[in-house]
Amino acid sequence: MVGRSLVLVVDDDESVRESLPDLLRELGFAAHAFSSAKEFLASDYLSQTRCLILDIAMPGMTGPELQRELWLRRQEIPIVFVTGNRDETVRSRMLDQGAVECLFKPLSHTALRKALKRRCAFEGHPACP
Amino acid sequence: MGTNLRDRSGRVRLQVTGFVETGTLRFGMNIFYGGENVTESAKSQNDVPLETSTPTGEASLESIFCTEELHRRPSRPPDHEKENRALVALVSALADSPTTILQTLAETILEITQSDSAGLSLLTKEDGGKRFYWPAIAGMWNPHAGGGTPRNFGPCGDVLDRNCTLLLRHFERRYPYLRLVMPAAEECLLVPFHVKGKAVGTIWAIMHSDRRKFDAEDQRVMGSLGKFACSAYQALASIDDLKSQVAEREKAERGLRELTDSLEVQVRVRTQELEQRNKQLAEARARLTEEKLSLKRSETYLAEAQRLSHTGSWHLNVGTGEVGWSKEFFSIFGFDPNKTKPSYSLNLERIHPEDRHRVEQLRWAAIREKRDFEVEYRILLPGHSIKYIYSIAHCLASPSGNIEYIGAVMDITERKQAEEELRRSEAFLAEAQRLSLTGSFSYRLETEEFTWSEQLYRIFEFEQGVRITCGLIATRVHPEDIPLFNHMIHRAHRTACDFAFQHRLLMPNNAIKHVRIIAHGTQDKDGRLEYIGAVQDVTEHRLSEEALGKARSELAHVARVMSLGTLTASIAHEINQPLSGIITNASTCMRMLAADPPNFEGARETTRRTIRDGSRLSEVITRLRALFSKKDPTPEVLDLNEATREVIALSLSEFQRKRVILRTELADDLPLVTGDRVQLQQVILNLVLNASDAMSDVEDRPRELVIGTEREEGGRVRLTVQDAGVGFHSQAADRLFEPFYTTKSGGMGMGLSVSRSIIERHCGRLWAAPNDGPGATFSFTLPCKLEGVLGTRGLRANRTAVVGDAQLVQENS
Repeated sequence: MVGRSLVLVVDDDESVRESLPDLLRELGFAAHAFSSAKEFLASDYLSQTRCLILDIAMPGMTGPELQRELWLRRQEIPIVFVTGNRDETVRSRMLDQGAVECLFKPLSHTALRKALKRRCAFEGHPACP
Repeated sequence: MGTNLRDRSGRVRLQVTGFVETGTLRFGMNIFYGGENVTESAKSQNDVPLETSTPTGEASLESIFCTEELHRRPSRPPDHEKENRALVALVSALADSPTTILQTLAETILEITQSDSAGLSLLTKEDGGKRFYWPAIAGMWNPHAGGGTPRNFGPCGDVLDRNCTLLLRHFERRYPYLRLVMPAAEECLLVPFHVKGKAVGTIWAIMHSDRRKFDAEDQRVMGSLGKFACSAYQALASIDDLKSQVAEREKAERGLRELTDSLEVQVRVRTQELEQRNKQLAEARARLTEEKLSLKRSETYLAEAQRLSHTGSWHLNVGTGEVGWSKEFFSIFGFDPNKTKPSYSLNLERIHPEDRHRVEQLRWAAIREKRDFEVEYRILLPGHSIKYIYSIAHCLASPSGNIEYIGAVMDITERKQAEEELRRSEAFLAEAQRLSLTGSFSYRLETEEFTWSEQLYRIFEFEQGVRITCGLIATRVHPEDIPLFNHMIHRAHRTACDFAFQHRLLMPNNAIKHVRIIAHGTQDKDGRLEYIGAVQDVTEHRLSEEALGKARSELAHVARVMSLGTLTASIAHEINQPLSGIITNASTCMRMLAADPPNFEGARETTRRTIRDGSRLSEVITRLRALFSKKDPTPEVLDLNEATREVIALSLSEFQRKRVILRTELADDLPLVTGDRVQLQQVILNLVLNASDAMSDVEDRPRELVIGTEREEGGRVRLTVQDAGVGFHSQAADRLFEPFYTTKSGGMGMGLSVSRSIIERHCGRLWAAPNDGPGATFSFTLPCKLEGVLGTRGLRANRTAVVGDAQLVQENS
């Protein structure tokens, strides 16, 4: 697993936290999941993170709030938002605010791979399939 | 003697009477003692030897003295009997006629001594005893009674000085004064007598010839009589004293009485005078005060009346040109009473130029004919304000030909303005009624007498002034609204109340008008009912309201769709979470199985998770259903009647709009229940609106809605809502409460389902039954307060679960 890009998942929903890292690993990334923004900010992973898959609606700090917090800390981690509410206006707002992508749940692994690929193309990541 | 003084001076009278009686008593006692004394003295005189009382004479008197001869001369035997008789006679004389006792004594001496003259000499009292006077003389010297001598001009002084009996011979030899007294005295026997140890006088006997010579017996008898003389003197003195005292007393009394009487009279007269005067004064004062008060009152009244009525008064003496104005006159005409001298011309100046000439002419014409006049005119005040004045004047023509006028001016500006105002507001009102399409009316029930405004005739399209009756009005009422109209009339007749109705009119040209009626019922003191009200043609308003209603229902529909949308999003979110897990797991599983070599272990794990998420999804859906049908209840003790009345209040305009006639039959003794007020009211509102909706197409009968409450057996209360609407088949009774079952075009079919779940959570029951006639009746029962407590516990338990879910949903959405 050494040399794989680290993709982190922050979601309050347990099933997402359980399933998504496995899928990411299958897709060739290193993955780790947090149940809240607070937990993530407290971890050592911030600087190593290549991409963040972030739920919009979470108790405590929401996804967009975490995004703002990272900007303030000058941690410019690319973010892929995920949300259970299929609302295009929300999606376009997220994209306007600098998100790499905003995906609706349930996640299609194709759409997820595309988003991460776009992110990796932008970064020129060698590990991207 | 005291009766005259009795009334006022009783004390004085008593004193006087007491004195007189005491005096009388004393007088009597003196006589008694006097008598006894005389008797005793007579006795004792017998025992005492004469020598002891014989004085020794002075050499100068020797020549006339012959006292010692008395004892030498042969003495005649004492005649005690005669002496006693004489003394008794004296004593009784003293008692009977004390004033003449001295004369009697003198005569007794004369007789007993058989002398020629006998008498008494007494020292005068008034000059301290400087003279002797002779109060009584018997015998030859009797004519000299009343005369007297200075003290040392006769032998009496010597007798008193020596204080003994003396016998003198030819005493004129020593006392030349007595030589004039004829016949001359041969021998004179003198005996002094004393009163209380003091010499006061003498008794004496005289022989003018020598036919007999005095002897010792005479001396003894004289001594005895001398004692009597003493008593007599005392008695007389006492009498004199008494007399003078009585006289003085009487005089004093009389004086006093006169004084008292005159004083009394004076006092009485004075008192009467004063009383009279006081009375007159008081009367005068009262009259004056009354007059003053009444004058002041009249003045105040007049001034106040003038001020209040804006009326001033004036007088004019045509002959002299003298003019007087009241205070209010000054005020009305805008003059300063302190700086202005009233004059006719000054008054004329104030009159509006356009009116001046007319007023002048009228006034002088009246004055010429000496008659009263009245006139209305305007006055122009400094500052160009105008007042309207009504003036009235009364002519007082005296026989002498002098003409005087008194008059009053009234400021009628306000009245003029009010009249103008009234004319304008009447015009305004008519205009306002025309513009607002509102007519007004009054209706006396007793006489069935209507009074309609012009506009009301126009609204009903009746000819102006036609006699209005209920029957006539009914010809215009829309046939479908006749029940409503009859109900309104019936209600109005029952009791004085305020009411508001809307109904339709069907005009002869088949046009439909909507009118709104608002009326206020009053009862006069005789109990007669009268309604005053307004009728507004709200056809336009109604049409726009209907358009608005349609828009509102469309809006409500949109709102419902939107809320459904919100719900959908919420459901989608709840479902998407586990669904997302399922799909991701399945995708991972596929990839693991497709790998070379296939990762069976990983695939098994992801499949296990897929199954687990599937069951989780099922749970979420169950929870959402629960959430959909349940709200957070707040149990409280409440009065179902009150809750019902609130719902009715909210629905009244809806009833009006849908022309529903509401009847309430709320039980008086309804027990309280426990529950969530808002939820229960939602149920009632739902039932009531359903009932109202169910009657919206009913035109052939009154749209009557009955809401009732009653107490049920088993500690429960029941509420029923009965309509006369389309009703339902009895087979459909249970399906009514299924979600999404509806008979209404715009209905969601959720109301009754939700209502039933609310009632059931309150441990109650909700059901429906078709009526015997048209329509249906919906009812629910609830346990009363005591049982309701158990229900509350159940509610709380539910609530906790619901709260948990609600938070979950909220946080995830």
